[in-house]
Amino acid sequence: MAAVSGQARRRRSLPVLRRGLWRWVILILAAMYFLLPLYAAARFAGIKAYGALISQSGFTTALWLSVRLAVITTAITLALMLPTAVYVHLKLPGLRRVLESLTILPIVIPPVVLITGVLQVAPGPLKSTPYLLGLEYVVLAMPFAYRAIDAGLRALDLKTIVEASNSLGASWSRTLMQVIMPNLTTGLLAATVLTVAMVLGEYTMASLDLYTTFPVWLVTNDQSSATVTVAGSIFSLFVTWLVLLLITVVGTRRGRRTGRPVSLFTAARQDNRD
Amino acid sequence: METTPETGSALSAGNGSAGRSAAVASGAGIAFATGSGGASVALNGLTRRFGTVKALDGLTMNMAPGELVALLGPSGCGKTTALRLVAGFDFPDAGSVLVNGTDISSIPAAKRDMGMVFQSYSLFPNMTALDNVGFGLRMRKTPAAERRRKSAELLDMVGLGAQAGQYPHQLSGGQQQRVALARALAIEPRVLLLDEPLSALDAKVRLQLREQIRTLQQRLGTTTLFVTHDQEEALSMADRVGVMRAGQLEQIDAPDELYARPATPFVAEFVGVMNRIPGELRDKDSVRVLDMMVPVKGSSAAISGSRVDVLVRPEGLIVDVTEHGNGIVITRTFLGSVTRLSVLLSGDVTIQVDKPSTIAAAIPPGMSVSVSLPSEPVLIAPRAA
Amino acid sequence: MDQMATAPGTLADPGAGASSVPPAGAASTAVTALRWLRRVSGVVPFGAYIALGMVIPMIAVIVGAFQNPDNGGFTLANIRAATHGTYLHGYWESILLAIWASILPGIIGLLIAYAIFTAKRASVLRQLVITTSGVFANFGGVPLAFLFIASLGGGGLLTGWIQDVLPHSWDGSQLYTLIGVVLVYMYFQIPLMVLIILPGLEALRQSWREAAENLGAGSWQYWRYVGGPVLLPSFTGALLLLFGSSLSAYATAEAMTSGTIPLTPIQIGSFLNGNVLPGEVNFGKALSLGLVLIIAVAMLFYVLMQRRSARWLR
Repeated sequence: MAAVSGQARRRRSLPVLRRGLWRWVILILAAMYFLLPLYAAARFAGIKAYGALISQSGFTTALWLSVRLAVITTAITLALMLPTAVYVHLKLPGLRRVLESLTILPIVIPPVVLITGVLQVAPGPLKSTPYLLGLEYVVLAMPFAYRAIDAGLRALDLKTIVEASNSLGASWSRTLMQVIMPNLTTGLLAATVLTVAMVLGEYTMASLDLYTTFPVWLVTNDQSSATVTVAGSIFSLFVTWLVLLLITVVGTRRGRRTGRPVSLFTAARQDNRD
Repeated sequence: METTPETGSALSAGNGSAGRSAAVASGAGIAFATGSGGASVALNGLTRRFGTVKALDGLTMNMAPGELVALLGPSGCGKTTALRLVAGFDFPDAGSVLVNGTDISSIPAAKRDMGMVFQSYSLFPNMTALDNVGFGLRMRKTPAAERRRKSAELLDMVGLGAQAGQYPHQLSGGQQQRVALARALAIEPRVLLLDEPLSALDAKVRLQLREQIRTLQQRLGTTTLFVTHDQEEALSMADRVGVMRAGQLEQIDAPDELYARPATPFVAEFVGVMNRIPGELRDKDSVRVLDMMVPVKGSSAAISGSRVDVLVRPEGLIVDVTEHGNGIVITRTFLGSVTRLSVLLSGDVTIQVDKPSTIAAAIPPGMSVSVSLPSEPVLIAPRAA
Repeated sequence: MDQMATAPGTLADPGAGASSVPPAGAASTAVTALRWLRRVSGVVPFGAYIALGMVIPMIAVIVGAFQNPDNGGFTLANIRAATHGTYLHGYWESILLAIWASILPGIIGLLIAYAIFTAKRASVLRQLVITTSGVFANFGGVPLAFLFIASLGGGGLLTGWIQDVLPHSWDGSQLYTLIGVVLVYMYFQIPLMVLIILPGLEALRQSWREAAENLGAGSWQYWRYVGGPVLLPSFTGALLLLFGSSLSAYATAEAMTSGTIPLTPIQIGSFLNGNVLPGEVNFGKALSLGLVLIIAVAMLFYVLMQRRSARWLR
C-alpha cells in the first residue's frame, strides 16, 4: 500500500526537468545576443583606446556639459515632481488619474518633435544657452521621475503619517523634509538616477539644438577615430550600468519586497536612447 | 492498517458510476447521486518534507463515503499540505492516498476527478460565472448545450442563477466562492476538497456559506475534506474533526467527542476554552488540586515530576458564593444565556467559569467564591512555565 | 428669499468647513470657485511647467504644420507634402520598422519572461534577469549604434566569425538596412518587453492554474482557455508600447543610417539644421504632427488595454 509513492515522486520530476532545460536554452541564447556585441566592441576598441579617450580633445568639455545638465535637470525635476506628487496624493486624489495620464504624454511626443516646437517658441536669450536643454530635459524626465516617486508614495500610508506629523505640531515644510522625504529615499534615488542616466545619454535634442553634450561629441568624434568612439560608447554604457546598479543595491537593501525593482525599472524606459 | 469498507470498485471505471441513483430529492433533474455519490478516502502514513521542515509526519486517516471531515489546526500544522497531496498538486515523500481502495498517488491532479475550492480568487477572470462552472465539463468534452444546462442548474443550486452572465470581478467574495463551489461540483466529483474557502470572507457571509456548503454536501453525499483554522467552522460543519499539529493528527473524532473528551492537552486547549489550574500529582492516578483529590484521566506516564496543570472547561467548574472562599471574582462577562466569570485564585491563577446568566447575576465582581471540581477524571498536562 | 434648506438653528456659513451649507446664488459659485482654485493651487507650478515646456511647443508645431512660411497664412501644402513622395515613404518605413521592432522583441521578451517567472520569487536567476533587463533597457542611442557597428559592421569581430562559418551571408552592410536597424533596436526593446510583461505574467495566479488542472485541464488547455486570454491585453498593450517607443526613436537610427533609410524622425530632424528650401520650412512640423498622431493612437489603445486587464485582474 505504501510502496507506490516513490514512483509518484519520480513521475513528477520529468516534466519539470524538460521545462527547466528549455528555460536555460532561451536564457543562454539571450545572453549571447546581449553580451557578444559588448565583447566584440570592447575588443575592437582595444585597450589603448580607453586611455586615448580621456585625452581626446573635447572629451572633458562635452562630459562636463552633460554632467552640468544632469545636475540642473535632476534638481528641477525633483523640486517640481515631489511636492506635486505629494500634494496630489494628499489633497487631490481625484487628479491622480489625470496626472498619470499627463506624465505619459512626454512619451507620446518624440523628442525630435519636442525640440522642433521648442526651437520655434523659445525666447532668444534662452535659446543661446545650453540650459534650455536642461529645462526641456525636465519634461522628458517627468514620466519616470513621477512614477518612481509615485511608487514610493503608494507604499506609504501618506495621509496617516502626515496627519500624525501635523497633530504633533510640525509645519508643512518640516513634514515634507523630515517625515516624507526620509521615507521616500528609494523613490527619490530612483528618480534621480533615472534622470541622470537619461540626460547623460540624450542625443536627439542636444544634437538638434547644436550643443555638444557627451553623446553628441561621440558622434562627431567618430570621424576622427573609430576606436576611441567605440571606447567612449562602452564607457557611456558602463556609466549607465553603474548608476543603475546603485538603485538596485540600495533598493533591494531598503526593502526585501520583491517586485519593487521591477516597478522602478519599468519607469526607466527608453527616451534616453534618443 | 485499516481496510476501507468498500469492496474495491476500480477507480478507473468511469467516475464512480457504480452506486449512483437517479436524482429524486432535488427534483431539479440533475443526475446527481443522493447519498451514495461519495468515495471512501484513505491516507496512509503521508509524509512530506520541505527542506529540513517536516510538513507532514506520517498522517493516517480514513474517510467514509459521504462524510465531511474537517482538518483543523494552527498554521503550519500541515493541513493544507495534506489537502494538496490528496488533490494531486504535490506528491508525498512517503505514504499513499487511496480512493475507493485504489492507490492514486501517482495519478496527476488533472485525472483525479476531485473537485476543489480554493481560498480565494480561483475563478477564471476572463469567463462568466456560467462558463466558469462549465469549465470542467468542457474539459470532459461535454457537448455545449448540455454543458450550459448543467452549469445553469448548478448556479441555481447555489442561489446564483441570475448571475450566470456576470464576470468574477463583478461578484462579491461570497458569490465568487459559491460559483467556485458550483464549479467544483459540476464535474460530479467523488471527493470534494475545500481549502479554507471561507477565511477570506467577512463574518456574516461566512456563516451563510457555512450552512449552504453543509446542506449541499449532505444532499449530494459527496465525501468532503475541509481544511480550516477556525474551530467554530470545523465543529459546526463536520461529521468528524481531525485536529493536527506539527504534521501529525492529534485526534480525529465527532465534534462533541472532541470537545468533551479531548485526547491530548493540545486538543483540549485548541478546541474551546480550557482552564489550567496548578496541581500536584500524588500518585499515578490522582492529583491534588483546589484542595481536593481528583482522579486522573488517561495515563500520567509522560509527565515527569509532580507539578502539573489540571485542564478543565469553564462549564466544568463548580462555583459557590462563600465568605472565605479560595477565589475572588474579577470580571463578569455577559455572553447571552451563559455568563463568564473571571476568578482569581490564590496562587495568582486566573480561571474562567461559565454559569447560567440567571445564577451569575447574583455573583458580581469582588465577591468571594469557592471554586471546586466535580470528582470526575480530569486531564492533566505538564505545568506551564 | 433664501430658499436654501438650512437646518433650524444653524448658520449657513461658507467658511465653516465641508459640512456647512453653501450660500445661494452667485455668491455660492464664486465661493466654490475660489475654494476650488485654492485647492488646485498646489499643482499650478507643475501645470505651468508643462504648459510652457510641452504644450506651447506642441501648439507651435501643430500651428506650424498648417502655416505658410512666407506669409503666415493657413495652408495645407505642408500636409500634402508630408503625405507624399519620400515623406510618405518615410512614414511607411518607420511604421514597418516599428512593427518588426515590436513583434519580434515582443515574442522573445515574452519567452524570456516566461522562462524566469516560473522561478521562485527571490531566486538569484530572477533578480539577475530583472536587473540586467533594467540596465539593457536603458542602453541605446549613439553608444548602442556604435556597439553594433563595431561588432557586426563591415570590419567587426562578429562579422568575421559569421563569415568564417557561413561565408556570403553577412558582410556588415546589412546592418545599415531595415533589418539591421531592427536587430539593433531589439537590444533595448527585448529587455523593455521583459520588464513590462513580467507583472502581467505574475498576475496569472497560481490558483487559476491549479483550479484548471483540478478540473482536468492540461497545460495547453490552460493556456488556451485561461492563461492566454487573460494575458492577451497585457501582451497587446506591451506591443503597443514597444511600437510607440520604436517610432519615436531617433538617435540610434541616425547614428547608424545617417539618412540612408528614410525614417520620419530623421526626416523631421533634417528640417532643423539641414539645408531647407524656402517653401518647405514647415514640412518638418507637418511630419511631426503625423508622427505624433500615429503614436497617440497607439498609446490610446495601450491605455485601453491596460484599463481592460486591470479590471479583470482586480
